[in-house]
Amino acid sequence: MTTETAAVPAGGAGMGHGAARRRELIRAQSARSLRRRHLTGRGAVGLCVVAVAISLTPLVALVAYTTSRGIHALSVDFFTKIPTPQGIPGGGISNAIVGSLIIVGLAAAMAVPVGIASALFLLERRGRIAGAIRFTADVLTGVPSIAIGIFAYAVLVEPLAHFSALAGSFALAVLMLPVIIRSSESAMRAVPRTEWEAGLALGVRRGRVVRSIVLRGALAGIVTGNLLAVARAVGETAPLLFTTGNQLFNLSPLQPTGAVPLTIFSDGTSPFPADQQVAWGAAFVLLLFVLVLSVIARLVAGRLNRQAR
Amino acid sequence: MGAWKKEPEVADPVDRTTSTLEEIPPAERTPVAGVKEALQRRWDRPGGRGYAALRWGGATLFAAVAIALVVTLLTSSSQAFGHSGLSLLWTGTWDPTHKIYGAETFIVGTLITTAVALVLAVPIGVATAAFLSELAPRWLATPLSVLIDLIAAVPSIVVGLWGLLVLTPAFAHHVEPFLKTIPVLEWFFHGPALGPSMLLAGVVLAVMILPTMVALSRTALAGVALTDREAARALGGTRWQVVRRAVIPGARTGIEGAVTLAMGRALGESIAVAMVIGNAYVIPHSLLAPGATLGSAIINNFGGATPGLDRSEVIALVVILLGITALVNAGGQVLLRSRSRPAVH
Repeated sequence: MTTETAAVPAGGAGMGHGAARRRELIRAQSARSLRRRHLTGRGAVGLCVVAVAISLTPLVALVAYTTSRGIHALSVDFFTKIPTPQGIPGGGISNAIVGSLIIVGLAAAMAVPVGIASALFLLERRGRIAGAIRFTADVLTGVPSIAIGIFAYAVLVEPLAHFSALAGSFALAVLMLPVIIRSSESAMRAVPRTEWEAGLALGVRRGRVVRSIVLRGALAGIVTGNLLAVARAVGETAPLLFTTGNQLFNLSPLQPTGAVPLTIFSDGTSPFPADQQVAWGAAFVLLLFVLVLSVIARLVAGRLNRQAR
Repeated sequence: MGAWKKEPEVADPVDRTTSTLEEIPPAERTPVAGVKEALQRRWDRPGGRGYAALRWGGATLFAAVAIALVVTLLTSSSQAFGHSGLSLLWTGTWDPTHKIYGAETFIVGTLITTAVALVLAVPIGVATAAFLSELAPRWLATPLSVLIDLIAAVPSIVVGLWGLLVLTPAFAHHVEPFLKTIPVLEWFFHGPALGPSMLLAGVVLAVMILPTMVALSRTALAGVALTDREAARALGGTRWQVVRRAVIPGARTGIEGAVTLAMGRALGESIAVAMVIGNAYVIPHSLLAPGATLGSAIINNFGGATPGLDRSEVIALVVILLGITALVNAGGQVLLRSRSRPAVH
């Protein structure tokens, strides 16, 4: 553009004519540029649409296929019977469902109180110790789940010389802890300082302020974070593989126990179609459970947002 | 004890007690003037022994578990590192019967599958996020975003099952033979099309990290200030130019964080990979060749390992895996720090 402007000759007589010509040139140039830019934009947006299609196809196919195969495996027996021997049709996964509930329930019972207490620690304290704890939580979030499983094996399986639901719960609790700590801390930080001050001004003790004002105010956020942590833990396979064993039916936390992800793994890798059918059914049950938990977590978070507004 | 006590005092619009304190002579001060000080005293008052014990107990327990994790894995693998030293890292053979242990195959496999997953998931994920956050109309973007957020919760074992029973035959009969016919890319895809392969493992990992990639990138893109977009628009940018020149650069830190997280997940995933990679313990020379990763090797070897050196060697694989993920995370942190410093405006 500048070259064309400079090329226009200066001079009294040619002034009006030159300015019009210049305007013309600029207009043509910018129209061309705009057309080109719009064309590029349209192309790029088209590519983005293609990307959306590419990313949605496998994700939706995965869920749809699991659902369609899994629904056929479901029956009353599927929820109430124990598995048949390998390759034989029929049977159910009641042992795995009960086992998963026990393992995840115990894990939550261990991780939630410790997690919330640690979050309070981070909330109340600044400085090097709090920084180290926060750093540890961030690092632990990235630790592969198989490493946590091997750790639980070394701590709780090897010394006791047998697999147990408790060892699996411990592994899952370690997995859940950093998630719970960080989500609870940020939920508590969202409680405005004025609410703390209102409580303190009434002469209420700090511990009571935290219990009645901070924890209550942050409740929705804490519940959301914990539900998401549970939803993540219930589908984990690697931490359970070497900790819980894969047993028939058991209610004692100190005995080897089955779990739904383990059933999916062992039946899914079996060559028999009957076993693979069970794996699809178990996968569907697990998927449904996880999705329902996530939806509940989202609804709780949504309620929280509405209250804040 | 006060949580926010050491924070620099900023102008507090609610605070009406101290602003005029200096001007009013002491005798004429109303009782209100002392409220802030009284409040600070209350703020600093310890919260009771039970409350302190709760906080310290929780934090101590958490720290103890984290330290125990590292210490246990290090001591359990010390026998292995004592046996072969660091040569474990560049030995290519894993042969427990002859007491030859090497992790090179697994390390290479881990890096290749992760690279394949990132090459697929990062561009597609960012483009999807850009579409959902910036370009799509609201009635379309909201349900799609919720859908992808929910799919992010799908457990990896379900993805693995789908990869094993659906993708493996599809890859063996259709996808892999097709890839071998593409002129330039065929160089990556020589050898027989078997189904279980490095490529398939990478694809399964990509499917697994894609929803996370989309969700986090979308949050980062949505967080770019409206004024940045308006400025780009006011300069005459088209809708796409605003996205390309203002929004995506503005969200760069967040997108890099998403990539780091996705990479960590891909590196550390074990069960789904073990189901589709074919578990061959040779360094693969094609993406169609079966291979093994650190995670899949741990899954396949830990159960059968005899106590002693054998098991210690498998735990050494865990330590190597931990080291790699820690390096990636630390690298991500350093990258973020170096970026954020000059970007002050």
